[in-house]
Amino acid sequence: MLSVSGISKYFPGVQALSDISLDVAAGEIHALVGENGAGKSTLTKVIAGVQPPDEGELRLDGRVVKWHGPAEAKAAGIHVIYQEFVLFPHLTVAENIFVGQAPRTRLGLLDRKGAVTAAREVLARLGVALDPQRLVESLTVADQQMVEIAKALIHRPKVLILDEPTAVIAGQEVVLLFERIRRLRDEGVAVIYISHRLEEIFQLCDQLTVIKDGRVVGSRKVSEVSRADLITMMVGRDLSHLFPPKPALTAAQQEPAVVLIAEGIDLGRRVRGAGLSLRAGTITGLAGLVGAGRSELAMAIFGGLPMDSGSVTCDGKTIRHMTPAMAISLGIGFVTEDRKGQGLAMLLDVAANITAASLGTVQSGPFLDRGKEQEVAESGIANYRVVCRGPSNPVATMSGGNQQKLLIARWARTCRRVLILDEPTRGVDVGARTEIYRIMRDLAAQGIAILMISSELPEVIGMSDSVYVMREGVIAGFLEGDAITEEAVMELATHHAQAA
Amino acid sequence: MSISSPAKSPTFRPSPHVIRLGLVVLFIAVLIVIGSVLTDRFARSTNFLNIYEQSTDLALVSLGQTLTILTGGIDLSVGSQISLLSVLTSGLINGDGSLVLPVCAGVIALGVLIGVVNGLGVVFLRIHPLIVTLGMGAVLQGVALLYALGPAGSTPDGFDALAYSRVGGLSVSATITVLLYLLVAFLMRRTATGRAIYATGDEPAAAVLLGLPVRRVTVLVYALCGFFCALTAIYLVSRFGTGQPYAGTYYTLESVTPVVVGGTMLSGGRGGVIGTLLGAYLLSVLNNLLNFMHVSTQIQLIAQGLIIMVAVSAYVERKKVA
Amino acid sequence: MSEQALPAGVKTAGIRRHSGELRALAARWGIYVFLVLFIVVSGIVAPSFLHARNLSNLVIQLVPLALVALGQCLVIMARGLDLSVASVMATAAVVGTSFSGDNHAVLPIIVVAVLIGAATGLVNGLLVTKRQVSPFLATLASMIVLQGLRFAWTHGAPTGAMPPFFRALGTQSWHQVPLSLFVLVPIAAVVGIVVHRTILGRKIYIIGGNPVAAGLLGYPVAVITIGAYVASGCLAAIAGLILGGYAEIVDNSVGSGFELDSIVAAVIGGFALSGGRGTIPGALAGAAVLVLVSNIVLLVGLPVQFQIILKGLVIVLAAACYRTR
Repeated sequence: MLSVSGISKYFPGVQALSDISLDVAAGEIHALVGENGAGKSTLTKVIAGVQPPDEGELRLDGRVVKWHGPAEAKAAGIHVIYQEFVLFPHLTVAENIFVGQAPRTRLGLLDRKGAVTAAREVLARLGVALDPQRLVESLTVADQQMVEIAKALIHRPKVLILDEPTAVIAGQEVVLLFERIRRLRDEGVAVIYISHRLEEIFQLCDQLTVIKDGRVVGSRKVSEVSRADLITMMVGRDLSHLFPPKPALTAAQQEPAVVLIAEGIDLGRRVRGAGLSLRAGTITGLAGLVGAGRSELAMAIFGGLPMDSGSVTCDGKTIRHMTPAMAISLGIGFVTEDRKGQGLAMLLDVAANITAASLGTVQSGPFLDRGKEQEVAESGIANYRVVCRGPSNPVATMSGGNQQKLLIARWARTCRRVLILDEPTRGVDVGARTEIYRIMRDLAAQGIAILMISSELPEVIGMSDSVYVMREGVIAGFLEGDAITEEAVMELATHHAQAA
Repeated sequence: MSISSPAKSPTFRPSPHVIRLGLVVLFIAVLIVIGSVLTDRFARSTNFLNIYEQSTDLALVSLGQTLTILTGGIDLSVGSQISLLSVLTSGLINGDGSLVLPVCAGVIALGVLIGVVNGLGVVFLRIHPLIVTLGMGAVLQGVALLYALGPAGSTPDGFDALAYSRVGGLSVSATITVLLYLLVAFLMRRTATGRAIYATGDEPAAAVLLGLPVRRVTVLVYALCGFFCALTAIYLVSRFGTGQPYAGTYYTLESVTPVVVGGTMLSGGRGGVIGTLLGAYLLSVLNNLLNFMHVSTQIQLIAQGLIIMVAVSAYVERKKVA
Repeated sequence: MSEQALPAGVKTAGIRRHSGELRALAARWGIYVFLVLFIVVSGIVAPSFLHARNLSNLVIQLVPLALVALGQCLVIMARGLDLSVASVMATAAVVGTSFSGDNHAVLPIIVVAVLIGAATGLVNGLLVTKRQVSPFLATLASMIVLQGLRFAWTHGAPTGAMPPFFRALGTQSWHQVPLSLFVLVPIAAVVGIVVHRTILGRKIYIIGGNPVAAGLLGYPVAVITIGAYVASGCLAAIAGLILGGYAEIVDNSVGSGFELDSIVAAVIGGFALSGGRGTIPGALAGAAVLVLVSNIVLLVGLPVQFQIILKGLVIVLAAACYRTR
């Protein structure tokens, strides 16, 4: 049905795809597997006509096709459900489902009633109780995902690409989604399923292709590969080497000092009565599904969102109305999830970004000590292996991994006690990932308490000394040492019956 | 996650925009009540008919402005467009009745063309619309002054009927304006293009990913804005008997007022043209009321500025947390 | 730029990086090169351009615009926009004529004018930071309100005269050096140093570059943003007094057009409306380009209308050159 051959794509500074070939048959669910930054999203965009390939060709039904924009690909029957939703928050559910391809009346006008009815039907088929006339803005993340899926269904696609569709849904919703995907396969749709959750691939997919650093590592039948094979293909090495070893706890470290306690934090409906404690020199994971309230809890602890009730105790000081300035002065650092939106000033240079949290150390009187700033920036670049042309390199031109290391370098200068990292390896290539893991261990070894929010189960398990799991705004459980397993974390993250 | 029945849909909750429209209507009502209490001449039908007529020019420009703002843009060249097109209208007709139709058609075509250039600038230069249209405004103002330094030309007898004729007391031009608003509102709701205009302003990146005709829509809204500027220019010439090269200056920023008072967000994707029409009426009622109170134009200005402040402060949605 | 060894494509990347550097270099220095070229070419095309009297006249015209542009830059740096500056200028000029008209009134005039500017800036800043009103609308509204207040105060037609002090400041020179330059230079120096050499300046850049990040860095975002609007208002007031002295006849239109011209100057000088980019010397050069363009139109005998036409083209051109890909 869809055949990709010899596709290459360059971006300034990076070769995102080189010589990718891939065949997806009608009536097949084809898994596209790879680490973050391996090139899966770029390949998706090339197939969907969002970006033209620099080399190579696409065939659909045996005919060579060349897209001029996503509308053409869509008209030809290629539909993508992107990881980051493509929704319009101020349009209604029905309007979103039919955007670009709405039912018309005989006069060529939009058939609003027809759209609402059809939307209601398709949502009902998905088993979702959603009013098609609600604004998408007001939906939960899981419901927004359902709107995306409904959008795909009404188009009756020939090729359906799903980019990590289960990142935001759980339990029964996943089962329903899989059922729906299988039915589409049986109807003859070619499905490309992108995920790095291995069990999903074994559960759902027929064929798999692994890509790494923009190249195809291999294509196999799912029934012919073992879990261990797949991991080796994905990472190119044994997974355990990706994470630095957890230090064996000495007697003194076994009861390390508690540095920070958060208690009874409420934040609207998104965080309810959540609490946690962080210990010096350890890495504490905060796991859960997207939308479970993890980032919001971290924001509240750091003072980025005012908490409705609750308190944070750090170094014996109990604070009920935290502000970022206070948190920083207490020695807390926060590497946010959204680097561009919440972390970096993209038009400024490396030096300005590294010193942004510690301007006090590069000032003389009211003035900026440029020499000192240069020094600080250079040592940050060296210590955290930020690859750039120097302190005056604009941040916008750097890769995701280097931007992330830069942010860690920024906060490492101020976080004497606690460093919070929200999805520290999102959009970061494998090489930089291992470096970030090593840096986290090093910082912990200096006695800093680290709180790591992560949606990557292997990361949670490989890095955390203990794990809090959140579900729907509450802390669903706490795991420590050998009790931290994928199954245990998923159980806590999804099952409604379990209590903390 | 049980299968839902349609009947389960929740109780009707008006969208924020509908609430804003309600507020504007409420405010108009309050002004009318105040007016009726202050003077018995205010609440007469003749006065309401005047208010209706007086709203025409601003309502016409703001209709186009609403569309650009809905896509997340803005057109700051409307004033200069109106100035240029108005001097051209009266200058070229110059009293010759046989030229009325061809000149008006040409002026409308020119307005559309200017809008297309604005739109192409926004799309292909990828510069902030504010700057593109600011530049365009300066160029057009210069051209208008090259053409005439003061009022130019004249209009044939009967041309003023366009602005002043009434049927059954109702101003014809104001009624045409209302019909234009209803037409645009209908098209915005019922055509794919209208939907695409909202989508482009709401989430431009998503619109591109979905293959919506973002560029075409952008050019279209600026072209329509030019079209409505041309109509405004012709209306003003009809009303004043001649066009002059500063006729439109007032409208550059003024055209934004009814839009925002009517609940359309400058960030794009939220609002609608009906709000703008109500906003224009609100301003018209307010000015009329202040006239009755023998308040000088200066106080009218102050009141208008305060209305913008109050309206936009009240409409701001609570900041979404990061 | 990736830390991974990239087997292929490295060369391409290298070339692109190089062109990126060139672009950055051009964006940084282009305006000065353009300014110098412009002056040289103007000197050749119209020799009268370089006459001391013409140059001194140019500076006299430049000073008010440069002052307003400095304030506008501070606001734009913090991701704002100030449309109220022209209204503040006219109000300041009107205040200048509202006292006795002799030099005894100079100090009260300056104090009152600057207070009005500061109050306008405060209202703008509060609306923008506390009510999250878009800067365009907040400053538009205060522009209109201020205009109304001024009309009400003057009953439409200002009377009276500016004290001789301001007339001298606006028109006189000392050994061919315009007196108003003695106002601009120290103010520009202070603003330049604050922006480019102090911690505060760095914070303004980061607030403009990423307001959310600035909040999470614990910066007093609201206070600094309000401060930028207040500074803009004060500078516009001073500019209004100087322009009032220059104009001799003060009416309600003193300064009209300066709101847009100051934005144009900032954009020519490299400021992005999305904040976080641009330099103070660049913006001063941008203001100079605007004044020079107007001047050269007259010197080469083009109709005066070409001043605005060229201005319009220059702003679009400049913005297109600075655009980041």
